[in-house]
Amino acid sequence: MSVIVEHLGLRLGKKTVIDDVSIDVASGTWCTIVGPNGAGKTSLLAAIAGLRRPHIGSVQIDGVAIESLNERARAQRVAFVPQSPVVPAGMNVADYIMLGRQSSHGLLRAPATFDRQIVEGVIERLDLIDLRTRDVATLSGGERQRVVLARALAQGTRTILLDEPTTGLDVRHQMDILELLRKEVDECELTVVATLHDLTQAGLFADHMVLLRDGQVRAAGAPADVVRSSALSESYGTTLHVVEVDGRDVVIAGRPVGADK
Amino acid sequence: MLLIVAMFCGLAIGPTPISLSSIVSSLLSHCGIGHNALSPLDQTILWQIRAPRMVLGLLVGAMLAVAGGTYQGVFRNPLADPYLLGVAAGAGLGATIALVHDGGVVNPPAWTPLLAFIGAMTAVALTWVIGGRGAYATPATLILAGVAVAALLTSAQTFLQQQASAQSIARVYIWLLGSLATSSWSSVWGVLPYVVVCAGVCVGAGRALDVMSVGEDEARALGLPVRRVRAIVILASSLGTAAVVSVVGLIGFVGIIVPHIVRLVVGTSYRRILPLSVLVGASFVVFTDTIARTVLAPSELPLGVVTAIIGAPVFVVILSLRRGVTQ
Repeated sequence: MSVIVEHLGLRLGKKTVIDDVSIDVASGTWCTIVGPNGAGKTSLLAAIAGLRRPHIGSVQIDGVAIESLNERARAQRVAFVPQSPVVPAGMNVADYIMLGRQSSHGLLRAPATFDRQIVEGVIERLDLIDLRTRDVATLSGGERQRVVLARALAQGTRTILLDEPTTGLDVRHQMDILELLRKEVDECELTVVATLHDLTQAGLFADHMVLLRDGQVRAAGAPADVVRSSALSESYGTTLHVVEVDGRDVVIAGRPVGADK
Repeated sequence: MLLIVAMFCGLAIGPTPISLSSIVSSLLSHCGIGHNALSPLDQTILWQIRAPRMVLGLLVGAMLAVAGGTYQGVFRNPLADPYLLGVAAGAGLGATIALVHDGGVVNPPAWTPLLAFIGAMTAVALTWVIGGRGAYATPATLILAGVAVAALLTSAQTFLQQQASAQSIARVYIWLLGSLATSSWSSVWGVLPYVVVCAGVCVGAGRALDVMSVGEDEARALGLPVRRVRAIVILASSLGTAAVVSVVGLIGFVGIIVPHIVRLVVGTSYRRILPLSVLVGASFVVFTDTIARTVLAPSELPLGVVTAIIGAPVFVVILSLRRGVTQ
C-alpha cells in the first residue's frame, strides 16, 4: 500500500479528463500507465502528485491523503518528473540536483551538509560526476534526462512519478534510464508510477500495468496479461500482436483497424 | 567599495565643493570625535541638502533595482521592470491629480506623494484582481492585466494633463521624469521603512526565485508554495516601488538595467543577483544623480534621462565583453 488512488475524477474546464479511476500500487513496485494520446495519463500523474485538484475521489501516498498536505510536506513524500522539464538558464548540474533538496532544507535556510551528502550520493549513483559543473542547458537529451531523474531522486521520497521519461531519447538511452529506475526500485524499495508509450518497454520493466483510455481504466494487472488483452488493441484502435523473444513479450503494431485491404 | 565611492561623490561634488577630508572630519565630529573643519554654511549644505539627497538616492536605487530583479525572477521574463504591473501609471495619475488641482501655487502640493502612492497601490491591486486570481491565473495573465491597467490609467493621466494649465503641465512633466531635487530628511524617513522591509523580503526571496526558474508545476512538485511566494514577492516589490516612486517620480531604466548588469557579471542565481542589485542600484542612482545636477549646473537634468544615457552604454559594453568570454 503505497500509492492508492480511489474513484478519482478530474476536470479541466468542463472536460472530464479522469473518470472514476482506482489504482493500487504496492510499495517497492513499478506501475506503468499506458494508453493512447489524450487518454489522461499526464493528468492522472499530475493529480497523484497533488498538482491538480480532483473534483472527486482521493489519492493516498503511504497512507496519507495527498490533498491534506501542503506543498512542502507533499514534496517530501512524492517526486514528480514532467515530460518536458523546464531547463533553467545558467544553472550547473550540481545546483540543479540540489533543487531536489528544497523541501528538506526549506526556503530560508541554505542546504546543510546532510543535503550535500545526499546530492553527492545521487551524483555518484547516476554516474554524473563528469557533468556536475556543466550548465544544464548545454546537456544532451540523454544526459539531461539523467540529471532530471537525479533531482527527483535527491528529493529522497519513497515514491516517484515520471511522465514519459524516455521521450526524445535514442533506444540505448531509453533503456539506460529505465534500467536505472528499475535498479532503484529493486535495491532501494522505490515505488514508481510512470507513463510510457513503448508497450514493449512498459511490459519489460513494470510489475503492474494500467491501461487508460478516455480517462477510464480499461485493463489493469500483470503486464503479460494487459498486453494480451483485447482492450489494448481496442483502446489504440489498431491491431497489436504479441510475440515472444527470449521469453520477453514484444508488442508489434499491425496496420490500423480498417486500413488493411 | 563602489557604494562608498558613490556616497562620497554624492556628498562632495556640487556648486560648493567640499573636500573629502572635511566631510570625514565633520562626520567624525558628529560622532563626538575631533574638531569640525567646515564653516556653518558648508555644514548646512552638506547635512541638510546633499546628505538627505544622497541617502534618498541610495534608497531609491536599491529599491528599484531589487524590485526589477525580483519581477524578472517571478515572471521569468527578462523584460520585466518594477513598473510592469501599473505602479508607474498609477503613481503618475495620482501625482497628476495632485499637481493639477492646486490653482497656481509654485511649489507642488505636499500631498502629491500620498496621492501618487495611493494611485500606485490601487493600480497594482486592480491588476491583481483582474489577472492574478482564480484557477486560470498565470504570470502571463497578470502581465496582460498590468498592460491593460497601465494603458487605462495613463490615458486618464494624459487626459487630466491636457485639461490643466500650462504651468501645471510643466510640473507634471517634471514629476514624471523623476528627480531627487526635493529631497529632505523627512522624505528619507518616510521612504526608509518601506525600502528596508520590502528590499529585505525581495533579497530573502532569492532562493525561492531560483527554484521557480524551473516553472510553476515543477517548483510546486519540489515543495515550493508557488502562489503564496508569488503574491508575497509581488506585494513587497510593488509596495517598495510605490513608496520610492511617490517621492521621487518615475525614474526609469534602473529597475530593468541594473539587475541585468549584475546578472551578466555574477550569473543567473537570484541569491546573488538580488543582494548585489541593492548595492549596484544604490551606487548607480547616486552617481547618476551627481552627474544630473552638476553637468548643466545650476539647472538639473532629469534623473531618468541620465540613468538611460549612462546605463545603456555600460550595459552594451558589458554585454559584448561577456559575449567575448562565452564564445
